[in-house]
Amino acid sequence: MSYEAKRCGVQFSPPAIILMYRHKQTDQVRKRVIPVRNFSKYSDCCLAAERLKNHLRHQDYLGGVPLSQLERLHVVLRDHLLGHSLQHSLASFQVDPEEDLNKLGDEELARKKGHMDKLFEQNRRHKDDPDFVYDIEVEFSPSDQEKCSWDGESDDGF
Amino acid sequence: MAGDASSIPEFDQEKYDSDEQVKIICLGDSAVGKSKLMERFLMDEYRPQQVSTYALTLYKYSTTVEDKSVVVDFWDTAGQERFLSMHPSYYHKAHACIMVFDVQRKVTYKNLTSWYKELREYRPEIPCCVVANKIDADLKVTQKSFNFGKKQGLPFYFVSAANGTNVVKMFREMIKRAVDYKQNPSDFMDEVMQELENFELEKKEDPACDAVKSDSPDLA
Repeated sequence: MSYEAKRCGVQFSPPAIILMYRHKQTDQVRKRVIPVRNFSKYSDCCLAAERLKNHLRHQDYLGGVPLSQLERLHVVLRDHLLGHSLQHSLASFQVDPEEDLNKLGDEELARKKGHMDKLFEQNRRHKDDPDFVYDIEVEFSPSDQEKCSWDGESDDGF
Repeated sequence: MAGDASSIPEFDQEKYDSDEQVKIICLGDSAVGKSKLMERFLMDEYRPQQVSTYALTLYKYSTTVEDKSVVVDFWDTAGQERFLSMHPSYYHKAHACIMVFDVQRKVTYKNLTSWYKELREYRPEIPCCVVANKIDADLKVTQKSFNFGKKQGLPFYFVSAANGTNVVKMFREMIKRAVDYKQNPSDFMDEVMQELENFELEKKEDPACDAVKSDSPDLA
């Protein structure tokens, strides 16, 4: 691929995904405005993201952008159409370690999972990686273990 | 009717009575990484089957345990866990259970108590383990001891579905324990069922068969 995606963002009006990329041959950094068409507050963000990623005119540029990121950008666009602030959208992606995610609806849970997937992908070892090992075993020695603060407090079976 | 559970082949849970079939269930809160762990263990070989009506995903896996071929059905939740309770058929005939929590979210650890309680209501004796997932996010947690597993006498694993740490080891050990359990079930109901089966056999068959039965290596 001759383009390296650097950063991306959204533009509310008219709705578009903005991509900063580097042209590998010329080493120039350029901006590409990708209009988001046929998209309303009722649209499915996952589907829309997939459509964009496979779009004939844009797929070469978006190759390095994870689908989950494109999906999140669409969610921000849709939240805007629904009248939500940008802060609201960004906050909805954050995972509060104290929050009980069992209590969320499908869409809200998907947002949190999207955020967690980012870390997962960062730390992920792919089976195509040259140093991939299927069975990795690591002993964690119990000798220097400290007591977990999660156990303390009341004695509710822990 | 299409909604009849028995009309879905995977719900014909009778098959778990045969020697070469085991059922292993996964329990734990939303987003602790249960499916990611399954996928890391099975890599591309997995053939997940969504049974959306019942909010569960099934993965089939074939392997050998002590030179015998075994087919493992892994049962994974697909949203039903949000009610902190599973349908009784989820536990039915299970031979082992993998309980997962997220080391970054205390609530998922605390909720193990209710998961374990429900498990033991249906399956008082099956092998079970506690899995601390996402250690790649913060390796320091592996310095800590989490007492829940210890208190219940359950094996404990620090794992990461992302980088693969201890995932294969954990699954292999649980498959082994599921097979062992199946050969020597200690759940009361299982024993009763076995007794009934033996009783019927003794009634029907002549004494020569009994001699053969007691030689069976499975029962040794």
